[in-house]
Amino acid sequence: MIRSHLILLVEDNPDDAELTLRAFKESKTLSAIVVATDGEQALDYLFATGSYANRDPKITPDVVLLDLKLPKVDGLGVLQRMRANSRTRRLPVVVLTSSNEETDILRSYDLGANSFVQKPVDFAQFLIAARQLGLYWLGLNEPPPVTRRI
Amino acid sequence: MSGTVLIVDDSLTVRMDLTEAFEAAGFRPIPCVGVAEAREALTRGLVDLVILDVLLPDGDGIEFLKEIRESASTQAAPVIVLSTEAEVKDRIRGLQRGADEYVGKPYDSGYLVAKAREFLRARRSSAAGSKTVLVIDDSATLRDELTKALEPAGYIVLTAASGEEGLQVAADQRPDAVVVDGILPGIDGATVIRRVRLDAALRGIPCLLLTASEDKGSELRALDAGADAFVRKEEGAAVILARLAAVLRGAASTKPAEDTASLLGPKKILAVDDSMTYLQELADALRGEGYDVILAHSGEEAIELLAVQSVDCILLDLLMPGLGGQETCRRIKATQIVRDVPLIMLTAMEDRKAMIQGLGAGADDYISKSSEFEVLKARLRAQIRRKQFEDENRRVREELLLKEMEASEARAARELAETRTALVVELERKNKELEAFSYSVSHDLRAPLRSIDGFSQILLKDCANMLDAKGMHHLQRVRAAAQRMGELIDDLLQLSRVGREDLSRGHVNLSGIARIVATELGRNEPERAVEFDIPDELVVDADSRLMKVALENLLGNAWKFTSKIASAKIAFGAEQRDAGTVYFVRDNGAGFDMEYADKLFSPFQRLHRDADFPGTGIGLATVYRIFDRHGGRVWAEGAVGKGATFYFTISSARLGGLHDS
Repeated sequence: MIRSHLILLVEDNPDDAELTLRAFKESKTLSAIVVATDGEQALDYLFATGSYANRDPKITPDVVLLDLKLPKVDGLGVLQRMRANSRTRRLPVVVLTSSNEETDILRSYDLGANSFVQKPVDFAQFLIAARQLGLYWLGLNEPPPVTRRI
Repeated sequence: MSGTVLIVDDSLTVRMDLTEAFEAAGFRPIPCVGVAEAREALTRGLVDLVILDVLLPDGDGIEFLKEIRESASTQAAPVIVLSTEAEVKDRIRGLQRGADEYVGKPYDSGYLVAKAREFLRARRSSAAGSKTVLVIDDSATLRDELTKALEPAGYIVLTAASGEEGLQVAADQRPDAVVVDGILPGIDGATVIRRVRLDAALRGIPCLLLTASEDKGSELRALDAGADAFVRKEEGAAVILARLAAVLRGAASTKPAEDTASLLGPKKILAVDDSMTYLQELADALRGEGYDVILAHSGEEAIELLAVQSVDCILLDLLMPGLGGQETCRRIKATQIVRDVPLIMLTAMEDRKAMIQGLGAGADDYISKSSEFEVLKARLRAQIRRKQFEDENRRVREELLLKEMEASEARAARELAETRTALVVELERKNKELEAFSYSVSHDLRAPLRSIDGFSQILLKDCANMLDAKGMHHLQRVRAAAQRMGELIDDLLQLSRVGREDLSRGHVNLSGIARIVATELGRNEPERAVEFDIPDELVVDADSRLMKVALENLLGNAWKFTSKIASAKIAFGAEQRDAGTVYFVRDNGAGFDMEYADKLFSPFQRLHRDADFPGTGIGLATVYRIFDRHGGRVWAEGAVGKGATFYFTISSARLGGLHDS
């Protein structure tokens, strides 16, 4: 049985968003990708509030790819709110960012990130990263039961 | 006021007179005929004060004084030597052996009782707590010897091996007294004392100068510098101890409240004249007034005496053989500790010129010997009273000045603290700015590069059929530039991080790190065959992360610059040199021209064309900063075509740079 996967990509830079979508497309990962362009939108999507008020909140993504530098609510703020809510507490979050500052890495893990990946400048490297992320988080990784659905 | 007074005198008249006088004043006198009896009395109980004759039937009073000073139970007791010996040299001998006072016979019993009271009051006020004494001497032996002598006597001893160190200790610990050697390697003893006197907080500390020579000049210079007393080293620890006790007592007795009362207290007059007859006449007249009179026969004697004995007024004959009144006066007035003592010039001549000369030499007043003694006494009282008022005025002025100085010091300290706080705030702000800047560089500068590289590659792929070979080449150039800029950003960030992050030191196995780096290099270019020589267990005390960065750069460079060598060899190791362990990374690659060796470690300096060996020129600047922060250094040796060796050192954590946390 082929499972259809859902990824929430939180990314404010349209170039990065497009490149990420392209990378997942090229990696042949069978998944739908929802893009949120700021932290507030991401939270609205996850909790089915605001512009996503009509969405079925039971449908949750398999993994959230989260940029740190975001307008309105920043990445760490999103992570904090997710971990404070029972519905998203266990949802796998991969921080995907340009930064490799030690403080960013430490604070991400402290707030409960499951993984930290620096976006490579080299697109070829970025393709490799996207493929590996898809393989691992959508294939190998066993998600927490509540997020599981067909 | 009560107290036990030991009176040692072979004359029955003296014993009876003094016993009566002290009893009437509320003391408990113990009269003794000689040394044996006095010694016996001392074994029976504690004595508060000793009155001691010099010429005793069974011994020398001054020798017995030495005994008193060497015994722990009596060394602190004030001793007043009472002697018929009018010679100045006897007086000096007594005072140097530790007498607190030397009174000549015939004496005035009222004066003795008053002096005894003054000493006991001073002792009581100074008895609270043990005294701290700072010993400054470059000889460790003498420091030890003095410490051993002073500590059993209840002193707390601080030591310093040089004048500079001594002043530092004095400023920090505020000792009650300073004992300083005259001859010291850096600044000498006299200079130490002068600096103590110039310091508002220290100037009241009694200073004792140790001299090795018989050279009176050096002693006078020391007194001029403000020493309270001096002792010749060869006189030994016991004498030093005695003089120290005396200056401490002296310091305690000059406390303001007691000084104010001392206008009515016993006064000591030094009379200097070559005529014995006149001196005796003068002494008799003055003793009748309750003064204690010291007689000196020449200017030289007077100056020698003033070095060990303080007086309240000096009567000085103008015409004397030897030094002469005018020169004696000039010298006295040039010496700091005695220059304020009123000095009255005496002369037989009714000579206006002589009078002017005397006053010109610094005398405070001038009296003709032919005047009535009543006139002289009146002038004397006037001078002593004038001195008294001056002292009081000066004390008031000094107190005001001291308060003003304290206020201005407090103001300066506050301003300094405010300035420092402002600087710290400014520094923190700059650091935050720098961190924000670095963060922005790391995050925002990379994103557009990813777009440039990403879309170039998509273009190459999606639109390959629309691009000719030239177009493809241009796009490849765009991609290469974007990647190079990415590397530059990474290297710059690393350089900045290495400079600002805290060091966390620990045991670091350099060999292990070198092996990991070598394996990574081999994995990235598996087609290259490079022979690595890395010994086991080179362990240092350093920051492991920074050591990894340094070795990545050094071994990475060696790897890069051997890329055109068929049998590349890279060695990492350590050598023992005089200055310590020197580590090295050596290769047999392209090498460099030693002429440019100093440019290697500056950022963006490159000695090779990018087409030959690509690089950002930041790696070695990072390496330099890493070893600098470890209190070590890095340098390079090499020759074109003959390889390069990079050496580095790491100092232990204790000697590390200021940045270490």
